[in-house]
Amino acid sequence: MRHLDDGALRALTHQDAATVKYFAEHLAHPCDTCEAFLAAHDGPGLLDGQVDSLLLGLAPRASQEAPLDEVGLARVRRAMQPQRPGIRRWGLVAGSIAACLLAVVLLPRMRAAGSGDSTAPWTGQKGGAARIALELSVAARDDGGALRRLDPDSVVTDADVLLLRYHATEAGTALLFEQRAGEPPELLGEFPLVAGTHDLQGPQGLAGVSLAGESGLVTLWLVGSAGGPPPAEAVRELLEGENPTWEHTALAVIRFDVRVRNGQNRP
Amino acid sequence: MGASEGLTEWVRRASLGQASAFSELYRRTRPQVARLVGGFAPLDPDEVEDVIQETFVRAFRALPRLKEPGAFESWLLSIARNRARTRLERKSSTRRLEEDVADPEPETVPHLPEALQLERDIEVVRQLIAELPEGEEKRTVHLFYIEGELSAREIAEKLGVGKSAVTMRLERFRSRIKRELLRRVLAGRWE
Repeated sequence: MRHLDDGALRALTHQDAATVKYFAEHLAHPCDTCEAFLAAHDGPGLLDGQVDSLLLGLAPRASQEAPLDEVGLARVRRAMQPQRPGIRRWGLVAGSIAACLLAVVLLPRMRAAGSGDSTAPWTGQKGGAARIALELSVAARDDGGALRRLDPDSVVTDADVLLLRYHATEAGTALLFEQRAGEPPELLGEFPLVAGTHDLQGPQGLAGVSLAGESGLVTLWLVGSAGGPPPAEAVRELLEGENPTWEHTALAVIRFDVRVRNGQNRP
Repeated sequence: MGASEGLTEWVRRASLGQASAFSELYRRTRPQVARLVGGFAPLDPDEVEDVIQETFVRAFRALPRLKEPGAFESWLLSIARNRARTRLERKSSTRRLEEDVADPEPETVPHLPEALQLERDIEVVRQLIAELPEGEEKRTVHLFYIEGELSAREIAEKLGVGKSAVTMRLERFRSRIKRELLRRVLAGRWE
């Protein structure tokens, strides 16, 4: 008895009539050997995708109403920029680093622009969301694992990973942007904020910003709001100065600059 | 991804470079891609996110060359499966880096044959599930594919088994479905 193998798959792909006829009959009955082969090999054609589409389509679908994962899409868009040498990976650093960070980083004075002086809520609705004030501290983890606290405008190397810690007066949501000199801010992630002092972390652990491939001025923007996240595109416009009303929102906007020096030029 | 209605138009728009179309495709298809990739037991959450990202980057880059917009979903899921497998194989060092699992070439993606029209095939799969003997495999398949709310990890916790046991059951069932669909393709296409 003949079973599926690489040769048979090639023959099926090329529509060899005898092979097609044989396997159309043979596969009408359960066959552990052929099923094991099919489980371990792709194809023929798009069969795997069709099978997955079929199986995943059995469940009630809510994808038509699924919210856009802006963070994920931003990652895809950044990865699709082929010529950018400084493209960084937005890494989620292991949670164990949080313990180290706790021991090393104290909450410093920070620049908290526009965090609580506003009168109108983000949504424009009367009597809307509570205001939130944010403070931010940043530590750099070098390639040897050592942590050091950074002041604004600190010089770092492209081997460093920036770790963030915040203090929020309210629970809410923050968007983290990164901006290179002369470029628009890029959304790195969305994070829940808890009142008090905490490491900035998402569902998968502590957030870290790798500086691999970066050079020159790099700005991190942490934009917080009480309640749900502000629209990322509107915030981007605010940060670029395209929306003159941003100081009248209930957003807390924190800016932190670092100057990245290429590791090859380290003294 | 059964609800392909409307996707084809977004695929066409995206292939013309409309940024909003890429966003819409991503919004509509990411949940299924995430569910597929998340079902690979040895991948941790960070790796799953990386595979999802790589899947969409590859698909979006190649989208203008996709010959059949109507095959986008299957093509995307094929890429996702290949990326997940490649990641697993690299992780286990059973393959060298250059032996990447190749994605389906967008220029050669065929139009879906009549035998694979979803409505009919869904009934076949439902029947096959109904015919499974009562037991853990049937329960697992039902929870993952029919109810579709719990992840493989959550199902493992619910059933008190390891995630790998859940994914093995799912893969075993999937290989049966693949055999049945291949048979139907062969019969429908050339008989």
